[in-house]
Amino acid sequence: MNEGIAGKLAKQFINSKITPLLMVASLLVGIMATFMTPREEEPQIVVPMVDLYIPYPGAAPAEVEARVAKPIERTLTEIPGVDFVYSTSMPDFALVTVRYKVGEDAERSMVKLWSTLMKNMDKMPPGVQFPLMKKVSIDDVPVLNLTFWSKTKNPYELRQSAVAVADELKKISNIGDVEIKGGLKRQIKIELNKAKLQQYNVSPMQIARQIQQGNSQMTSGDFKQMNEEIVVRSGKFLESAEEVSHIVVGIYGASPVYLRDVATIVDGPEEVNNYNFFGFAAAAPKGSATGEYPAVTLTVAKRKGGDASVLADKVMSRIEGLRKTAIPAGITVTETRNYGATASEKVFTLLEHLLMAVVAVTVVVGFFLGWRGALVVLASVPITFALTLLIYYLLDYSLNRVTLFALIFVTGIVVDDSIIIAENIHRHFAMKRQPKLQAAITAINEVGNPTILATFTVIAAVLPMVFVSGLMGPYMSPMPIGASLAMVFSLLVALIATPWLSYRLLKTEEGHHEEYDITKTGYYKLFNSILSPFIESSFKRWVAFGVVGLMLAGAIALVPLKAVQMKMLPFDNKNEFQVILDMPDGTSLEQTARVAKEVAAYLKTVPEVQSYEYYVGTNAPINFNGLVRHYYLRQKANMADIQVNLVHKGDRKAQSHDIAKRVRPGVQKIALRYNGNAKIVEIPPGPPVLSTLVAEIYGPSQEQQIALAQQVKKVYEETPGVVDVDVLVEEDQKVYNLVVNKERAAFRGVSAEQIAQTLRMSLAGIDVGVLHTNSQLDPVAIQVRLPQSGRTSIQDLSGIFVQSQGMGTLTTRLRAGQMIPLSELVKVEEKIQAKSIYRKDLRRVVYVTADVAGATESPVYAMLDMDKKIQKLKVPGGYAINPLYTANPTSEDKLSMKWDGEWQITFEVFRDLGTAFAVVLVIIYLLIIGWFQSFKTPLIMMIAIPLSLVGIIPGHWLHGAFFTATSMIGMIALAGIMVRNSVLLIDFIQIRRAEGVDLKQAVIESAAVRTRPIILTSGAVVIGSVVMLFDPIFQGLAISLIWGGVLSTILTLVVVPIVYYMVEKKSTVIAKNKRV
Amino acid sequence: MTIMTMSMDRKKRLFLFPAFLALLVAGCGNGEQKQVISASQPAPVAVGSIVPVRTNGEAGARELLLVPATAVFHNGELAGVLIVGADNRISQRWIRTGRSLNGDVVVLGGVDKGELVVGTYNPGLGEGVTVIKSPNVTEEVQSK
Repeated sequence: MNEGIAGKLAKQFINSKITPLLMVASLLVGIMATFMTPREEEPQIVVPMVDLYIPYPGAAPAEVEARVAKPIERTLTEIPGVDFVYSTSMPDFALVTVRYKVGEDAERSMVKLWSTLMKNMDKMPPGVQFPLMKKVSIDDVPVLNLTFWSKTKNPYELRQSAVAVADELKKISNIGDVEIKGGLKRQIKIELNKAKLQQYNVSPMQIARQIQQGNSQMTSGDFKQMNEEIVVRSGKFLESAEEVSHIVVGIYGASPVYLRDVATIVDGPEEVNNYNFFGFAAAAPKGSATGEYPAVTLTVAKRKGGDASVLADKVMSRIEGLRKTAIPAGITVTETRNYGATASEKVFTLLEHLLMAVVAVTVVVGFFLGWRGALVVLASVPITFALTLLIYYLLDYSLNRVTLFALIFVTGIVVDDSIIIAENIHRHFAMKRQPKLQAAITAINEVGNPTILATFTVIAAVLPMVFVSGLMGPYMSPMPIGASLAMVFSLLVALIATPWLSYRLLKTEEGHHEEYDITKTGYYKLFNSILSPFIESSFKRWVAFGVVGLMLAGAIALVPLKAVQMKMLPFDNKNEFQVILDMPDGTSLEQTARVAKEVAAYLKTVPEVQSYEYYVGTNAPINFNGLVRHYYLRQKANMADIQVNLVHKGDRKAQSHDIAKRVRPGVQKIALRYNGNAKIVEIPPGPPVLSTLVAEIYGPSQEQQIALAQQVKKVYEETPGVVDVDVLVEEDQKVYNLVVNKERAAFRGVSAEQIAQTLRMSLAGIDVGVLHTNSQLDPVAIQVRLPQSGRTSIQDLSGIFVQSQGMGTLTTRLRAGQMIPLSELVKVEEKIQAKSIYRKDLRRVVYVTADVAGATESPVYAMLDMDKKIQKLKVPGGYAINPLYTANPTSEDKLSMKWDGEWQITFEVFRDLGTAFAVVLVIIYLLIIGWFQSFKTPLIMMIAIPLSLVGIIPGHWLHGAFFTATSMIGMIALAGIMVRNSVLLIDFIQIRRAEGVDLKQAVIESAAVRTRPIILTSGAVVIGSVVMLFDPIFQGLAISLIWGGVLSTILTLVVVPIVYYMVEKKSTVIAKNKRV
Repeated sequence: MTIMTMSMDRKKRLFLFPAFLALLVAGCGNGEQKQVISASQPAPVAVGSIVPVRTNGEAGARELLLVPATAVFHNGELAGVLIVGADNRISQRWIRTGRSLNGDVVVLGGVDKGELVVGTYNPGLGEGVTVIKSPNVTEEVQSK
């Protein structure tokens, strides 16, 4: 027998001293890599996303859109690598979001963006201010949240201590951004007294100018004298409220007017701009505080590539150390998020699962090959994984859910090569035809080459999944890469380590001397009785094919019958969810706080909720979902976020998704009572999108778009299972437009800018500088503003004065400094605030968003349901709206609608996976042609692939599971495994026939001999997958592998030999006829 | 102060919480402490005056919401009132206050017209305490 690569390798290593050393070395580096690789829960996804804030003070949304957003969008889409450009044009500024293709280099993208922007800044209209560029990255997501709450301290004191702690924490190495949410900053408030201002003839503008000029200090230079340099400094910074109050702001009669004469100076907390409260709920441990307490949250992000759990531990021990110093008594610090701990937990659970899978597989192998055989297989797994983990470390992957699942997923597959080799050595030892060493090498030669081929078919099956594009790509890519690497290593281990181990561990059984005869084995008898009837009677054969065909058709029919539904990914069981509360625009902060409190009070009674924290007027610490959805911009008075922390998933029965579904009606009822809109936001299992269900409405005008959006919203609301419906359009908000009477203003020597500035100072307040103190960590702003009580209505503006600029303006005869009441110069117009304009990829769009829960869990079915209703909607012009699925509308002349959200990702993923599957089939076909040198044989082998569907689809139905993206991965991987089984079968038939055995005999013999390794390898895949059944996300993968594996294996063992017999018989008959 | 780690294993948690509670009982003896205790008592508390949120009688833009100045309490910059709900239970409500007006305070946000507030702030009345309306409530309503 000629020796293949396999035989040569085995010969080299089977007796080499280097083999055990290599094995030990691989194990050691693997262990090292496991501890050095950073651990996280979710895989790292680099989505370079940049937010551009472009202020255009005074402009209405339409103008902002036309002058700023549109031209900037146009130039940005020219940048190579840009995937999407979104913009929102609001009054006074534009927010443009640029999203690069997933995986684009973040730094390079920033440079490109910067240069493009700079190139076009000269085309911006005057008045547009310099854009603020903010890169958004996954590392902005805090991994640790510490809530400072107290029964006795107020938000101002809480923030002070949080700032002190933050300052200390920053010293920890590898720490990222430390931020503080909520609380009130220290501020020097200059509360203007309108009556006094008028009395002393001082204007707010004058005060601002005096403070700015008084708060100055600089180095003036130096004197050189007597060989010395003496530095000269001039001016003095304001260091206390006392000093601020002594500033002279004007002159009255002959005496100076001090700031304290015309204003009240308060050194203390700033005006309330957020309400942030924390409380324990029903599931809190006994003895927890029952009330609701002012809180401040300190968020800690990690640096890129850092290990979240290590950082979290360091921070927590630092906090322990700060208990006496920076954190005063009475303040409690509660950990309200620790992604480090959850990541560690997840990683260790998965490692545990991995171990279970390995043990389970070993037991199965032991059942067939005895404990010695099992030991050989068991030893090969850790070596394979150790090397794979090393590669993970070298490729900068982290240990996360996906990378570890890749390992669990391949556990059943990587043992296969070793099983096949060990089994065959075992068989040859048992046959006793040759001396031990010779038998081992013969055995390896026999199966070595088909094993190599088989390994490459499996790699060919999983590797094309790397090409899944979009956001889902990085989620998935560790799967194919990890699995392929593991396969390569497992092959090497099978060819190098397994022979060495088998040669030493496997025993040739004693007292078993008669010549080996295959026809006496049980397998042979079994297959003889099963296969013979089909081989002999063509009628029975066709009946069998018919039955298999029917089973396949029946299985596929389950999909259109909706017995098995498609969904991209099911929800994971998390320990948190959020409630996003949107009150009508123009709702006061207190009213929003009140509704948030009421919602929180309801959540408090939910038995699984451990604690909650609501944030009004400031956003809750974001997660990856919030990052993509721009939740960090939720800082308006009408918005509140409620962070809900559940008890640990081990301590509750209900899944987080079910709890979210359960509380939704209650939460929404409360919000609705106050005309608010509350949404339950869960952490999505896959890449985040704007919302699960998104209808993008395009059209010729905003009014028509909004009108259609409202109709679509109604359709949403009428469809069962569609929840959290919202239209991204602001409600009407009252605006007082103070129109300056230009003629009159000019005649008084007052400029429009002066009026605008004065009004802004009075209402919003203007920061005129900072206090220069050393003791404060947060900068202390000096703010000039009217007191709260003095700016409640339009009437309050009557007492505000501006100063005439005098004859210098050349438009007035008044003397400079004369006080002119504002009410004389402006006219009040009541209006409705212009609505923000959203644009996506250069088109105006209105979004209608919703989530799906309950009646349907998959957006696709809800979309199909709603399509019919949307087509019936009446729009001006009388045409029907046909919702688009994949393409953007071709024109904006007519109203049109496109589905987006989770659908877009689902579509991309299934499209890419489908393409990958097609590529897989072609590659497998080519590989086998190359090996068998036949065009027909590969087709026979690939019959096994559709047969797996007979198991996969009914399997999902039995488990009541969704057919998800992971199911699809399982199906593709299974294609490789099943073809490998066929390869082993047919390869043996050909070997036997080359040895001169009759076709029928060869077919039956092959089935008999190969059954054991085939059942063993498939069994390993099935058993190895069982642990995955309990993970919500990877359940689909497990179901595919288990059910598809079992049914496909059984059918393969029968169908493939029969078909091969049929085809070969025909060709031998033809060949014979030709010869005749 | 105490650090509580939510994700800590249960045993540790169970040990920490009694310790934390003991610390609180020993450490803080302020008004809020009573609130915790009274919240657990089912017996209703009689309150001297419960008054509705009134308006200054003018309609339109000049209409203002008013509560008695004595009803307002402060926690740092935060200002609040005690609201008596439909179920006679107390709940704290944060409000934004404007100027004073004849012993009343103008409320800029946080309460609705007609809601009942405790006329004189009593730190002993905590969240969820049931209160009994005393007879002078009707007087107050009539005086509106």
